[in-house]
Amino acid sequence: MKVSFNELQGLCRKAFGGIGFEEGDAADAADMVAWMQCHGFNGVDQLNRGLDFLLAEDPEALPRVIYQDGDLAVLDGQGQSVLRSISLATELGYAKARARGLSVVKIRRCHNRQLIMGYLARLAGRGINISAFWRNAQEPLTEQVVGFRAGHATPEMRVYSVREVPEENEPNDGITLVMANHVELLPSLGADHDLDLLAHHSESELLACRQRALQDGIEVDDAIWSRLKTLAHRLLVEASEASRSGAGSGVNDND
Amino acid sequence: MMNHEVALTPLSLRPADEVMRMERLGSLHACRLSFVRTLVRQMGRQRWQISRVRFDLNAEGHGTAVYRLQTPHGRYHGVMFAQPLEDERRSDRVIAEAWDVTFGMVEGEVDDGLLAQMAANVPLQEAGRQHPRVLVLSRANKSLRNFAHFVDALAAGEQPDPAWLTRVGYLYRTTAVYGNGKFGIADFARLIDNPDFRRPFSAQMAGVYLLRHFSIEQVEHLAACRSPETARPLATELRRYLGIGNSTGLGMAPFLINHPQLIAQWITQRETALALALRRMPEEGDRERMIALTRRAMQHLAETVTEDREQSERNAASVAALPDVLTWLASVPLEPDLWSQLVEWGARTLPLEAQELINTLLIELYPETVDALEDQMGVDENLDLEPDMPLMRLRQLIETHYGWALSHDYQSAEGAYWFWYRSAEKEEPRLGVRHAEPGAEKEMSIAIGPRVAHSHRAICDFLEEAPRAKVVDFLLERPRHKEIVRRVQSLVKAPYGDIHANLWHRDMKPMHLLRAKLAFFGASRFDPKSDRWVRITLFQGAPLVEELNAEPQDLADFDDWSFPLEPRREGGAVRPQSLSGEVST
Repeated sequence: MKVSFNELQGLCRKAFGGIGFEEGDAADAADMVAWMQCHGFNGVDQLNRGLDFLLAEDPEALPRVIYQDGDLAVLDGQGQSVLRSISLATELGYAKARARGLSVVKIRRCHNRQLIMGYLARLAGRGINISAFWRNAQEPLTEQVVGFRAGHATPEMRVYSVREVPEENEPNDGITLVMANHVELLPSLGADHDLDLLAHHSESELLACRQRALQDGIEVDDAIWSRLKTLAHRLLVEASEASRSGAGSGVNDND
Repeated sequence: MMNHEVALTPLSLRPADEVMRMERLGSLHACRLSFVRTLVRQMGRQRWQISRVRFDLNAEGHGTAVYRLQTPHGRYHGVMFAQPLEDERRSDRVIAEAWDVTFGMVEGEVDDGLLAQMAANVPLQEAGRQHPRVLVLSRANKSLRNFAHFVDALAAGEQPDPAWLTRVGYLYRTTAVYGNGKFGIADFARLIDNPDFRRPFSAQMAGVYLLRHFSIEQVEHLAACRSPETARPLATELRRYLGIGNSTGLGMAPFLINHPQLIAQWITQRETALALALRRMPEEGDRERMIALTRRAMQHLAETVTEDREQSERNAASVAALPDVLTWLASVPLEPDLWSQLVEWGARTLPLEAQELINTLLIELYPETVDALEDQMGVDENLDLEPDMPLMRLRQLIETHYGWALSHDYQSAEGAYWFWYRSAEKEEPRLGVRHAEPGAEKEMSIAIGPRVAHSHRAICDFLEEAPRAKVVDFLLERPRHKEIVRRVQSLVKAPYGDIHANLWHRDMKPMHLLRAKLAFFGASRFDPKSDRWVRITLFQGAPLVEELNAEPQDLADFDDWSFPLEPRREGGAVRPQSLSGEVST
């Protein structure tokens, strides 16, 4: 089925509320999913794949700061989806970059990582340069790099495959964020790296994708839509005779 | 003439703590910056043209009509579906499933394929899947009594009694006018570069204007079908006096709370207009115009009919107070600060609705000064966090700007009496009594006051342990406060964004919220049906399609339709009422 951007964002917000997200987190998560979807990154599919996981998460297990100083921070995402509360980890990076010119934030142990782009778009719109990258653990090992220019809410993105898998035991479940006040941090690759470019999404291509989504509507799978509606329904109060009077209308509108 | 020295001094706007009180918001009137006024001015200035391209109605008035709206920049079509409706199914509530008329306004052409898609979906409204080129989706129910009276009169070759339109100012009242992506229609973001409809709600108002024209043509069609020999068209004065109703409930309240930056923008423009008008040095002509406008508004309010006791009293209080305003205006020397004197005198002596009426009329006086503000009604809505703000600074901001929120008792039975929620029935917003009705655990968090007070307590506690903390340090520990923190941080820069009231309180009147939003739309004839349900009229007195199509030369006259008066029927003719109550010739 075709839906509008506003409709998708609105339903996601209600669905996240139904899952039990705090209001601000529900709004941010909905923005992330809708942003991803209208820029061609299948945000709804990603959400759908992560839904069972989200429903099983402990809402009290919040991102925890393991280390921080003026320039750096390392956080433990507690194995949760970036949709829940990860915005504050990125805000920490933003605050440090504002204060010191440049910041590095590592978020370990988190899921649905690509969705973070939706929130980074908002930070970049507030005037900060951002680069974010993460590696996916599946074979072949891939690395995604996304860069936002300050003031631009649309990024440039590249996806690489990693030829030589490093011999280390660190799991690939983290995100690295670099933010800078004055320096552009766009994806760029020298010739002699062990990386093969798999995909390149330019800012103009992603902007055009958004324009098409607004023009033609957004295609969403009926079953996923229905599932989101069921979750949103959790916030609704079943009707009763008493509740009907709570709308304050009369019983007859013939005049 | 504007004094240049004065013009350079910063504008002094009224404080938010005065403007954003519920009772004052609930006293607002439509003004020349209201959306219907702005739209009509734009249509006249840019020579918009409206034509009928299809009118397939049967003798009962049921069928399809299509109107073309041509602007210098684009072409749109209003597509109307009129259908039979049993009286017992006629409900203004969002839980209704059928209506007398459903319609959509489409960007671009309507070919057979799109028409078929719309015919299958528009009548279903929320239950349909609407096309992404539909900008506005709406439906309306008949005023049965007006409809019958109008058809009877016109079929008999007579004109309907104008008093019927004073009691109920329309043949149709809309029960929702959807825009911005609802049920698959176009997102508002798509209109951002559209010079015709980039202002908030302008597309919705254009859709309603087309419905008004359809209602005239449909009622004339019915009269002609019934009695082709004797039927007459509706007199021009009655056409003009015919508006479109709207029936509205609590659904408007969450919008006001969930779009604080937009509301702040609207109110800022209105307050700016008032401040600009106040510092104009009046000339004798301005004083005379103000007297004329006050007389007209007084007569309009005197004619306004509502069964609601409180609104009747408020109308009567304004009408009773306005002769003193006329006397004041006629007797006070013409000093440079006359308008400020008037407002200060009014604040001491006039009821709230009369005070705001005076403000509305002052804004009306100076089109050349205030009309440019209509282009500032839109805003990018982003409640952004300032994570690097010292937490102590945030605490100070709350205590400075949200004193109203900290002053309420949210623990008492009275102070926490209501809770707001959405019903499983089409998500209709409702109010329930806390501790007495089920559903409080699913409360919609639109009462901002208690949330700010809660966050303020948490911030004070955190500062005890970490006095040098930043906002982000606090939120990483207490993330549930994120939404309120960024709301406060954003709205201290847009101080007309939050309504200064406890929306849980037993004495809270949702009607005030509804009226505030409706006044910005341009509503008149406020007719509350309860403290949370209201009927209003839009476009009553507005220029007609044929007047628009004639490309008006006198745009000031074209724009001068606020506070319309009941026309007078004299023999077979209907004429405008003069301000003295006599019939003008």
